[in-house]
Amino acid sequence: MVRAVPGWLRVGAWVFVALAAVFMLAPLVVVMGVSVSASQFIAFPPNGFSFRWYERALGSPAYLNAFWLSLNLAVLVTISASLLGGAAAIGLSRGGRSGGAVETFFLSPLVLPSIIFAIGLLMLWSAVFGPTSFQALWLAHTVIAIPYVIRTTLAVLAERDPFLEEAARTMGATRLKRLWFVTLPQCRPGLLAGAFFAFNISFDEAVLSLFLRNPNLTTLPVQIYGQLEFSPDPTVAAVSTLMILITIALMLILERMLGLTRFASG
Amino acid sequence: MTDRRETWLFLLPGLALLVLGFVLPITRMLVLSVQGPDGFTTDQFARFFQDGFYPSILWRTVYLSAIITAVCAVIGFPLSYIMARSGPRVRLWLVIMVILPLMTSVVVRTFGWMVLLGRNGLIASTLRDFDLVGRSFQLMHTETAILLGMVQVLLPFMVLSLLGVIVRLDPRLEEAARTMGCSFLQTMRMVVLPLAAPGLLAGSILVFTLSASSFVTPALLGGPRIEVLAGSIYKNVTQTLDWNFAAAQAVILFAGIALLLVPYLRLGRRAHG
Amino acid sequence: MTATARLALTATLCAFAAPALAQEITINSFGGAYEEAHRKCVIDPFTAETGAKVNIVTAYSADAFAQLRAQKDAPQYDVIHFSGGQEIVGASEGLLLPVTEEMVPSLADLYDFAKAGVANGEGPAYQIAAVGLVVAADKVPSEPTKWADLMKPEYAEHLVLTNITNGYGMIGLLMLNQIAGGSGDDIQPGLDAVSQLLDAGAVVVSTSPEIQAEFAQNDAWIAPYASDYAFTLKKAGLDVKFIQGEEGTPASFITANLVAGRDNVELASKFIDKSLSPDAQACFSEALRYTPTNSKTVLTDEVAADVVYGADAAKGLMRFDPRVIEANRSAWTEAFAKTIAR
Repeated sequence: MVRAVPGWLRVGAWVFVALAAVFMLAPLVVVMGVSVSASQFIAFPPNGFSFRWYERALGSPAYLNAFWLSLNLAVLVTISASLLGGAAAIGLSRGGRSGGAVETFFLSPLVLPSIIFAIGLLMLWSAVFGPTSFQALWLAHTVIAIPYVIRTTLAVLAERDPFLEEAARTMGATRLKRLWFVTLPQCRPGLLAGAFFAFNISFDEAVLSLFLRNPNLTTLPVQIYGQLEFSPDPTVAAVSTLMILITIALMLILERMLGLTRFASG
Repeated sequence: MTDRRETWLFLLPGLALLVLGFVLPITRMLVLSVQGPDGFTTDQFARFFQDGFYPSILWRTVYLSAIITAVCAVIGFPLSYIMARSGPRVRLWLVIMVILPLMTSVVVRTFGWMVLLGRNGLIASTLRDFDLVGRSFQLMHTETAILLGMVQVLLPFMVLSLLGVIVRLDPRLEEAARTMGCSFLQTMRMVVLPLAAPGLLAGSILVFTLSASSFVTPALLGGPRIEVLAGSIYKNVTQTLDWNFAAAQAVILFAGIALLLVPYLRLGRRAHG
Repeated sequence: MTATARLALTATLCAFAAPALAQEITINSFGGAYEEAHRKCVIDPFTAETGAKVNIVTAYSADAFAQLRAQKDAPQYDVIHFSGGQEIVGASEGLLLPVTEEMVPSLADLYDFAKAGVANGEGPAYQIAAVGLVVAADKVPSEPTKWADLMKPEYAEHLVLTNITNGYGMIGLLMLNQIAGGSGDDIQPGLDAVSQLLDAGAVVVSTSPEIQAEFAQNDAWIAPYASDYAFTLKKAGLDVKFIQGEEGTPASFITANLVAGRDNVELASKFIDKSLSPDAQACFSEALRYTPTNSKTVLTDEVAADVVYGADAAKGLMRFDPRVIEANRSAWTEAFAKTIAR
């Protein structure tokens, strides 16, 4: 008979989860509080109650344009980074001895502070293509997002059953069929986590976006940063609160439509 | 088509992008580290090591990253296990909880910490009410503040890396261990932990490299008196406009992290590759 | 012929060869209330007069300069505004185009000190921010009157200093250095003063929003900083006051610069001319309390009471030699970092 999980551990688990929740969410509660403050400066606890910062954020074309640009960019980066990173991870998991060096190479964008990459890319891009463009930003974000996809996908592939593919091969499945029916399902949870990171990295990235921008290319984090010097009012907190709410809504919708958690469990 | 050729076909697009989109641009910047007014020079590196100041910043960067990684692992492993073994609804809400900090702008999120950790913040004023600390006490602008702020944003990378691996572990393995007389904790240590190692490895590499190369959170929470190397690099690029020295610092940071990571990756490959 | 002169000539020729090729220019502004004022005082009137479109990139001086230097092969700005002395480095690296009175007629009306750098290829100053003591009037027990008061022990735990990576922080340090007996060749007395203040409980921050947070959140009393930010805090509802220290009020210049290698120099020059015009300057003073640099600017009494105004008063502003600052910036920043490091 299997002995049940000891009672103190169950209680302990819930206490642990509760503490983790406080730690993760306390600063966000502060931000949400600030966003409904009536006063013009960022302070907590909020003085009075007002929705005017939301009106301001939602009524400002600058914030809305920045939001759509960031969203477009993040979606495209998710697609390109998942494709390239996923393929590279599959290649790496099959690779022989040289795999280690190649793997380290693929991780290198994570190691270098992004400011160095940003300035280097801006210098090169200006010399070769002239003014920066959406493509430059897409390229830059894809480069820094790929390592996440590779890492998370490799992690799940390390636990895969190599005989499945072998079995498919003996039974005469073509390369494409093996990829589609065997390898990809094996990658799925890792690829999903990687895609999620890619989206996030792009959406939250400020340094590359700061230096590669032009008048038509201001992402949301850059827009927020640009308001801080002369108008540090609760609008930025309202924008962040909206982002929190959108994230929750999006997660719930995805769960309902796709069964996100089942998807993640492969 | 041989298998070998197929493997390269998978790797090639990513490699090409990395070489053209990353290696070329950073080379353009990093060569500045050895360029002086009269050609090749190692002056910038000599400047880094001329006294203990910059090496101490490098050392702080490395040990803070190591502590952040360790804390993320210690919190992340049990959390991912609980997530993996709970129902879909609970798991969804826990995933949401873990990723929410990532979805707020870094400056705004940091402000949340400033309120909690500042001189008049919740923690300091509570301690002051009990007369435990003086007026100037604050957690802001300390290494602890950097640690808290960084763990909060980097935990999702650890948890999601682990979750992908743990959810795929067959619960029957654990049952088997339990049947054979292992206690719950023994099962954890001898069955779950070793099998989750690739996820732990992936998560810690992401967390470690991210904490070593990020500067916004450390700069705001640590303040100018506690610098990390990435912050110093940023300062040299934008404020003192000393790009040669910035490039040299980047080379040193890059080499330092790579030296630490290569054995770690090799370890991972030997155990599970 | 020097390189800059040659550049100027080529650019002028280009300007004649292709008159107003593109009826739009790109500039940087500093976001938030500053950008609103910029639009109202300069950009909108400029568009109304010339029909040209102005594209704005919100970029603070340091970031904008890094961008300008990296984009040397394909600059995107026509006019670039700096508040931290970046124009000196920019001019010496050939990134900027010198302006002349033919291109920018309003230069003639500028106070001499505001166009002192023009001969070196730097852009003229269109605004001056005065650096003094920003004081929380409702909290401080007794108001400071001079810079030396910063050293009073009773203020120390409520004092906010600024890192010298920030332009105003640099000026604040040089002022502390001066009252401590230092000079442009020797900032050690200033560093010692900073170190003494930090030991006594002062905090040091790097950015303007952090200064706001210290006043709004952490019971700060005094911060050496600029008049424009004091006014921004006041408008946000904080009870702060800007006090000019008795030892003098150092000035920080905001300059408008022409960028080299662009093809609509003529339009860009007009834009700078507009920034220097008395109307635009009066409007900016009213919005953010900057000191005007055009001698013909007329301010209302209400605004004039808040700003350093008029030829004599403006001349009374001190200025630390920007060339000395630029020559030492890297070394000083490193020395400062070492001084404050824990």
